[in-house]
Amino acid sequence: MPETNIAITGLGAVSACGNDINETLQNFSDGARNAGKVTLFESELHYPVFQINNPTLLDDPFTMRTLNLAFQAAQEAILEAEFENGFGNLRVGISLGTTVASQLNDTDFYRQYLNQGSAPMNSVDRYLKSNLAQALAQFFKITKINFCTTIVNACSSGTDAIGVGLSWLRNDYCDLVIAGGADELNRVPLDGFGSLSVVSKSLCAPFDRDRAGLNLGEGAGIIILEKETIAHKRKKTPSLFLKGYGLAADAYHLTAPRPDGSGLEQALEQALKEANLKPKDVAFINAHGTATKDNDLVEGKVLAKVFGKKVKFLSTKGFTGHTLGAAGGLEAVFACLGLRHGWVPACAGFMNIDPGIGVAPITHKTKISGNCAVSTSLAFGGNNAALVITRN
Amino acid sequence: MAENKEAELKTIRKKLKELLVSHLSLEDVVPEKIKDDEILFGEGLGLDSLDAVEIVVLLQRNFGVEVKDMAQGKKIFYSVDTLANYIYDNQKK
Amino acid sequence: MHIAGMGIVFNRGRGLANLDQALTEGWIMPNSVTASCAGVYQVPPEVIIDKQVLKDVRRADNFSKMATLAAFDALADSGIPEENKSKLGIILTTAFGPHVTTFGFLNEILTYGDAGVSPTLFSHSVHNAAASYIALNLQTRGPTLTMTQFANSFQQAIILAESWLKEKRCEYILVGSVDQIGQVMEYICSQKLKLASDGKIKPFNFSQIPEAVPAEGSAFFLVTDNIKYNKYCSISALQQGTKKEDDLYILDSDGMCGNEECYKNITKKVAFTSYAPVFGSMLTLSAFSCMAAALILKNQKIYASPIQENPHNLNILTKNETLAVHKIKCLRYNCYQEELIIQLSRPR
Repeated sequence: MPETNIAITGLGAVSACGNDINETLQNFSDGARNAGKVTLFESELHYPVFQINNPTLLDDPFTMRTLNLAFQAAQEAILEAEFENGFGNLRVGISLGTTVASQLNDTDFYRQYLNQGSAPMNSVDRYLKSNLAQALAQFFKITKINFCTTIVNACSSGTDAIGVGLSWLRNDYCDLVIAGGADELNRVPLDGFGSLSVVSKSLCAPFDRDRAGLNLGEGAGIIILEKETIAHKRKKTPSLFLKGYGLAADAYHLTAPRPDGSGLEQALEQALKEANLKPKDVAFINAHGTATKDNDLVEGKVLAKVFGKKVKFLSTKGFTGHTLGAAGGLEAVFACLGLRHGWVPACAGFMNIDPGIGVAPITHKTKISGNCAVSTSLAFGGNNAALVITRN
Repeated sequence: MAENKEAELKTIRKKLKELLVSHLSLEDVVPEKIKDDEILFGEGLGLDSLDAVEIVVLLQRNFGVEVKDMAQGKKIFYSVDTLANYIYDNQKK
Repeated sequence: MHIAGMGIVFNRGRGLANLDQALTEGWIMPNSVTASCAGVYQVPPEVIIDKQVLKDVRRADNFSKMATLAAFDALADSGIPEENKSKLGIILTTAFGPHVTTFGFLNEILTYGDAGVSPTLFSHSVHNAAASYIALNLQTRGPTLTMTQFANSFQQAIILAESWLKEKRCEYILVGSVDQIGQVMEYICSQKLKLASDGKIKPFNFSQIPEAVPAEGSAFFLVTDNIKYNKYCSISALQQGTKKEDDLYILDSDGMCGNEECYKNITKKVAFTSYAPVFGSMLTLSAFSCMAAALILKNQKIYASPIQENPHNLNILTKNETLAVHKIKCLRYNCYQEELIIQLSRPR
């Protein structure tokens, strides 16, 4: 394995839990859960959602909401990394995950086509300009970009996009990578997850004994991955590092996770091995924790098995909802914040331990003294991904 | 009355078998060959969790019957018979 | 990175024998004509029936079936030992995903309402369903990833495969593409592209408004750094070598990316061909062109350009014949006129 250290030099996040990182941390601290009725689109369904209600968020007919969310989070990350004046001669890569932005699922377009046999092309044109990674490159005027990829791996897209960035940097294809994920609230996944009976009619309760399903959310989480040598040349001393990534398939079922959790175990093992760390070195885990019966059962048991019964873990989906393609990006940011500030929030929504899982997540704002965090993602279709992040 | 009920159940079972085959893409399964007491999940037809939620849609669309709570699902979806009886009991007259 | 095995599902059938035959025979009329479209190259339904390989995937849609078959065939073609499957990764790329199922799901929303939609349709309407089916079908537990990048899709997939192998994330990778055609997409193509009324893509005309014949299919490669399994050739999107050594350029000028005048800039000193008129127009055409290149390099046999119309007098291939070929570049200009190259080569 190449010896290059890959630093994390910028973080950006937008979700119902906050329009930027400071707001997010405040809401984490206050335990604020900003869920409500969906107003972005018409729906016959009455599930609570974590919609971003921010009037400064541009909603225009030419640019998909997902893109605007990504731009906002990326701007925050780029500012922190001090690239706001451009990237100079550095070789930049962009690797971003999404689900909604990649699909032409405009109901109005389709309705018109169905009824009239024809429909205007504006939503198609908008879609064709909405490849997330490409759109970000254009927004930040990054030209001559050879490493530019949009990952569509369902709920682990954001985590996997970060893993792709790590791979490129380790192989010295790029000097830095803008990585993470973004997704907007959309009628299609709301209807779809509803039909699968995995959406809760009340606020979600990750890992809870009485959990009744997920709440959908939206947002974007972006990190700047940078070779440590490049950061030093820029006179920066990074303190956060991406040390490992693991990805493994269940090969079990299209929608249900493998009951024995071996896919997640494999991903965790791989990520820790790459980082040259052991489970006991991990201070806390930001789990996928969607609050569905299946996910939390499998994931909770694996975390207990790998990290022991005293494992410190939480799901932040009680604050953000399940943001699909953005989840992995947001949760990598949250893992970084936990290490940087030395605390993590409670696992919002959790009340009672599930005896089937056997371990309980963190129940109140907790100090973190260790130097290593793990973020896990489990996706539809059976993808299991894990990141290992460390702090100096 | 009992004969009416049995006749109706027979009709429901026949329609149900045809719908299960077509709606769940059960290739190589002949509706007429499915037994009335055929177990739907695990052994028998070998359906899975995705089929379970699909059957909920099937019931809604073809019989106007809702399944409000998936936890009840195990009992209702046990066999063709139990499913047919559920439909009979809950169908809007 | 070496190609150890290949699998293909396209409008002329399934498998490398069908590919060889199609390239040998050349252009044929598009096999499906719809109201809104002059013609498309559709995969005949019987091509994706395989009761053995697809026996446990009853719910899979055509998108997932095409990919599953092509990937299965690529693995079978490679001959890598069964026990090495645990070290197998999967990278699937697609320009538009399973849009037929996506539109089917939208249809359900409009017909049955938000609360009455099919969960099976929804779970198949996500881009990564096909890769999941491949993993399920082959029972592989390695890293499995789906990506989408419009015209850059296959090139970025090859880059990632090279990256994973160099990193030793896995030892073997099934890397490939899948895209489909359908009624709504045909309508969109008829509005956004100039469709060839005679069914012929003219890849050497380099027009401002080139003609397209939309198509579907899946092409998969089993790749590895282990030279022992170099059955066909090496492939790279990162290494270009010098232009002096290039023997042949395969152009993806298929009418999908607008203005093709930029192709006029390429060096005239090599031989050219394009098999777009055989495969049809797809943003993931590069995968198919690379497969043709790999066959050429393995068999040291070239196939004539299926359409000979050549207003710029390029040195195009005019005959099917045995010929020493060592380095081929598959070239596409995307919708931003960026040059995308994948190089395939075999030692002299």
